[in-house]
Amino acid sequence: MMGFPGSLRRAALVLCLALSACSESPPSSGFAGLDEQADAGEFAQPAPGDRLRFPEDFGPHPRHRIEWWYLTANLTTDQGEPLGLQWTQFRQALVARDADAPAPAANRWPMEAGWMAHAAVSFREQHGFAEKLARGDIGQAGATAEPFNVWLDDWHLQALEEGQWRLQVNGEGWSYDLRLTVQREPVAHGDHGFSAKSASGEGSMYFSLVNLAIAGEVTLNGEVHRVSGLGWFDREWSSQFLKAGQQGWDWFALHLDGGYKLMAFRLREDEGAFVSGSWINANGDVESLGAGDLLLEPAGWQTSQHGRVPAQWRLRIPPHEVDLLIEAPAGDYWNNGLFPYWESPVSVTGSHGGVGYMELTGYGG
Amino acid sequence: MTLFVALFSHYRRHPLQLLALALMIVLATTLWTGVSNLTERARASLAQSERAVAGQQQLVRVDGQAVSVRDFAVLRRQGLCVMPWLEVRRPAPAGRVIGVDPFAGGCFGDQVPGQAGGDALIGEPFLDIGDAAALVDQDNPGTLSLLVPVTVLPAELPPGYELKDFSLGPATGELGESFLLNLDALGVLVLLITALLVRSVYQMGRVQRRESFALLARFGVPPGRVQRLLLMEMVVLAALCVLPGIWLGRWLAAVLGGGFGQALEGLFDTPLYAVEGGGFALPAVVMVTMVLVACFTDQRLWAKLPGVSAAGPSLWLAMLFLGVVMVGVTPGLTWLFTGIALVFVAVGVLTPRLLSASAQWWSDRAGGLVLWQRRELAVLFRRLALPVVALQFAVAMVLAVQALVTTFEDTFEAWLAQRLEAEFYVEVPDAARAADGVRYLASRTELGDWHLVQRGTARLSAAAGSGAPVEVDLFAIAPIGPLVTGWTLQTSVADAWSKLAAGEGVMVNEQLARREGLKPGDSLGLTVGGQAREFAILGVYADYGRPAGEILAAGQRLPQAFRPQFESLSMNPGDVTMTEIEQGLTEVWNAGKLTVRDNRSIQALASGVFDQTFLLTRAITVLTLVLAGTSLLMMGWVFFSSRAWYYRLLSV
Repeated sequence: MMGFPGSLRRAALVLCLALSACSESPPSSGFAGLDEQADAGEFAQPAPGDRLRFPEDFGPHPRHRIEWWYLTANLTTDQGEPLGLQWTQFRQALVARDADAPAPAANRWPMEAGWMAHAAVSFREQHGFAEKLARGDIGQAGATAEPFNVWLDDWHLQALEEGQWRLQVNGEGWSYDLRLTVQREPVAHGDHGFSAKSASGEGSMYFSLVNLAIAGEVTLNGEVHRVSGLGWFDREWSSQFLKAGQQGWDWFALHLDGGYKLMAFRLREDEGAFVSGSWINANGDVESLGAGDLLLEPAGWQTSQHGRVPAQWRLRIPPHEVDLLIEAPAGDYWNNGLFPYWESPVSVTGSHGGVGYMELTGYGG
Repeated sequence: MTLFVALFSHYRRHPLQLLALALMIVLATTLWTGVSNLTERARASLAQSERAVAGQQQLVRVDGQAVSVRDFAVLRRQGLCVMPWLEVRRPAPAGRVIGVDPFAGGCFGDQVPGQAGGDALIGEPFLDIGDAAALVDQDNPGTLSLLVPVTVLPAELPPGYELKDFSLGPATGELGESFLLNLDALGVLVLLITALLVRSVYQMGRVQRRESFALLARFGVPPGRVQRLLLMEMVVLAALCVLPGIWLGRWLAAVLGGGFGQALEGLFDTPLYAVEGGGFALPAVVMVTMVLVACFTDQRLWAKLPGVSAAGPSLWLAMLFLGVVMVGVTPGLTWLFTGIALVFVAVGVLTPRLLSASAQWWSDRAGGLVLWQRRELAVLFRRLALPVVALQFAVAMVLAVQALVTTFEDTFEAWLAQRLEAEFYVEVPDAARAADGVRYLASRTELGDWHLVQRGTARLSAAAGSGAPVEVDLFAIAPIGPLVTGWTLQTSVADAWSKLAAGEGVMVNEQLARREGLKPGDSLGLTVGGQAREFAILGVYADYGRPAGEILAAGQRLPQAFRPQFESLSMNPGDVTMTEIEQGLTEVWNAGKLTVRDNRSIQALASGVFDQTFLLTRAITVLTLVLAGTSLLMMGWVFFSSRAWYYRLLSV
């Protein structure tokens, strides 16, 4: 993207229009415009009582304004070194459309939806990041539930056979080609998949595949590393994700010893924060966590290229006697795309050992 | 202030002088601003289109089909960096626009097409490709190209695609530039003529004001102060007149811009993009400077220049000779115009001297009152030197413009006649088979001449020309008949049209023949519909300056694989009404409403547009001629008025 200022600015403006509908300053107006107010008359808004449907919910939700497919992986090379990966693809609609409504003609180059894909690899304190953009409905980017396929240009996550997926990404100087094995049923967060994001009812539909077995190759500067490890896949969609005034979020997906999995997030508000999470045991049983059960607070700050970020956290779940210290490894893990945010692998110590991923938005700048 | 009012009172006594000065400045500013605004827009369009695609390459389909959004998606999903570029041609003055997809350009890095100074692809003529696509319709055709970075090599391409240099149109050579240079030259002439006229009127006024200046000197006003006030007087007058002049000039450019754009595009394939013309600053500075230089350049300075005064007429004769030689031998347009300028200046300076010398010589051969009369005439010639030169320039300009317009008009009309030979043409609808229409027309024996035109592309093989494959327009016509055999052939083999009809070869247009060094009898390697074949060149037909390479072939002799991009039937209805033919074709094609074009009305419209285009140049010539003539008459009148007392003495 370097040396491409004119088009990038325009792309930023268009994407800003596409992803946040009006914000003039993308990074400061909330990540990817998630706090924009949806037009209730046009877009559908998730609500308590909504239910997940499979496999349809692996595909796009054109009646909703924003959604993403998100994968993180805590891998180990055949030399035993930790390596972290992230891949995310966003869809942001400008126009709501019924699922069975015909798409606009591709030769008119419609702009009813924008797509953005992010990919990152973290290894030996280095962090590589790439971003791709595309307009929807012309075939360059899209998603289907059956067969499962999410793509933008030549980046894609697609089903090969039952329970087997393939993720291929090419960045500048790095790439990865991974096989993913789905080992558990999807986990529904919140109320049967409705994940509240504020006390006043804003929220999203949210489910995860929390125990993906991953193996494959990661190429870094021409050097091929065979890797294997654990992955976490999220699907989330909404039309009004955040409440106005929420400044950003701190999100964690952790693989803990004993087969436990933990998803936790904290949405920072003008006063206080909205905290929520899911405690998942080795059998896949899910327990939703609220403010009374889940305590999440920064334990240490790090100076980074965009200012100070909380790179260490203390997370406690008193009913389960969980007390964790979550730490990002040394390094700077900013994803410097149109909307810069921190995305790093983490290690976990304390009552449980483990690894995972941490995403922090709304810091710096 | 009192001094300024005292000086300015001259114009209260001679309001016509003030009016003449003001009118000249307003008129000259209007004309110069109008011309320079249009030429600036045209040049900016040309430069922008060249810059936008400089060094770029594109992907095209090997099968000759136009690329589509589907190709774009397929190529991107294969990991190739491809950027769509949708050019929408809108009738002037709207101009062409280019649709780009800002999402798709990231992979170009700093090689993004159209980038100049980091603000590429922003503002007109660039639009979001979705907005540009919405403009595409029958009247505003769009062409999609898929650009790839120059670093992409042929080996990296997926099957079915190949690389090709990207350009928005064929090179126009010096054709477009000569058109603009002509307008530039007119603009400079307007400035020159106005400068001469303004100077003559102003100098006349200064002569009349000599007594006032002497009076002021006696009152102790230093000459330098008077000079400064006179300068201020002209600055104020020029500034007041230049502003409405610029506004009128821009209005003139806007009114005439449509025709100008269409003429540029029609004649030279040079698109007039939707770009802004110049601002107010340049015309204002140029015109005020011109007025001040014209009024205040001291003639004595000129006389003091070393060598100039001593050289006398020999200097101007040398300049005239040099100019004539340059016009005769120079190959480049710029030097040609410089040579013409030298001739103009030399002739302009020499003419009053010649007239004066003639009168002097004539007077030497007389005596008494006749001697006095002829001496007076010599004085008159010397006094009226500037307006005479201005009038001379204006007359020359009228002749030059008339020649220019006539040349262009002849070319344009010949080109129109060639392209619109038939009275009507009917587009073959997308879903219809042209052969059905052909059968129907063949069955109507009372119909006049007609033929089917299939337009597509072909590639010259490398052996035929300069090395790289060249894409050309291919016109396949069947049957070959009077609608085409009337075309002017520049060179040809014997019985060329019959041989073309028999499929014994093809014809090429003049520009292609010149570029590729082709002549009748040569063999031409052509790839048509993916098949490479050799064709004999039967003739070279006049193309009236259209720079695109063209091949004319008999339709029935082309390979089956040839896929035309556009098909139409051209016809003269003869004894059948067009309504009946349209009805018949609608039935055989089972189509809805057909697109039928009345070529005669198109021709009339095109001629109208042409006239509108050259209205500007005609306006310039007529107005400057009127200006020069009026000025000359006024000067003569003032001259004789100022010497009236002298004539009265004679009568006494």
